[in-house]
Amino acid sequence: MKGLPPSLKDRKRYIAFQLYSERELNEREVIQAITNKIIDLYGEFGYEMFKLIEFDGKRGIISVKAEGKDKVKNALTLIDRISDVRVLPIVLGVSGTIKSCKKKYLEV
Amino acid sequence: MIDLIRFNPEKIYFNYSNYIVFGEETDKFVNGCMIIARDVNELRRKLKESDGIIGVASESIKVNREAVMRKKVDFLLDLKRRRIDYSTVKLSAEKDVIIEISLSKFIESKGVERARLFDETKTLFKIIKKFDAPFILTSGANNFYHLRPYRQISDFFKMLGADVKRALYWMERLGRRLFDDRYIMNGLEII
Repeated sequence: MKGLPPSLKDRKRYIAFQLYSERELNEREVIQAITNKIIDLYGEFGYEMFKLIEFDGKRGIISVKAEGKDKVKNALTLIDRISDVRVLPIVLGVSGTIKSCKKKYLEV
Repeated sequence: MIDLIRFNPEKIYFNYSNYIVFGEETDKFVNGCMIIARDVNELRRKLKESDGIIGVASESIKVNREAVMRKKVDFLLDLKRRRIDYSTVKLSAEKDVIIEISLSKFIESKGVERARLFDETKTLFKIIKKFDAPFILTSGANNFYHLRPYRQISDFFKMLGADVKRALYWMERLGRRLFDDRYIMNGLEII
């Protein structure tokens, strides 16, 4: 919701992740796979909204509410196929800001 | 940290120090002997022929209970349809047999089957906690795509009520038992 006072805004966490896969995947496939897995695990009521902030085919950052970060991490852990491509998703780490997330986990 | 897996990988991935490979021959990592038994007689016969680090995998409660009582057995390996009862967990604490709880069965299953696994695993963690039975959290991977870093595995099982610190303690103890020549048993080592 827009226009909320700062005290009512949700705190966010940024999850850095990496995918080892047989072929390169696109953002849409990744979002679809994570969404399906969260709904599989927690149902529609427990679904946690997330955003794929960036994804280069291998590594990416997901933005999610602080309370929902475990749900997204668990969903990532249980994914082994995206669009019939076998994948190995690794959670690199969780950060409070995009800047620190990139610096800590995505800079080589 | 050590992971129990079911295939022979090319190298060590993530932050593990070693793998124990069950069900396949390996030169690079530790070889484990996996015994799959359907009944107690089969278990006894196979145990006589086996040597080394032995893990028993069975869908039968009776076989698992018998396995725990055998001195040769080091692990009760995890299966999708493994069944352990209350007294087996109690015995495993007394006999020091490590119960493996693997992630791969959760990856492989879905729907009601996975819901059943969640329920059973939650109960298992409660019983393990009650008797302080030795247990380890592993990937149980049978291919590369089922491997996961230990932190990811422990975060997942934390959701199901696992005492992650205790799991790490048992893991460290297993590492010492296998790779530290000076280690004899808890509180007793060669200086």
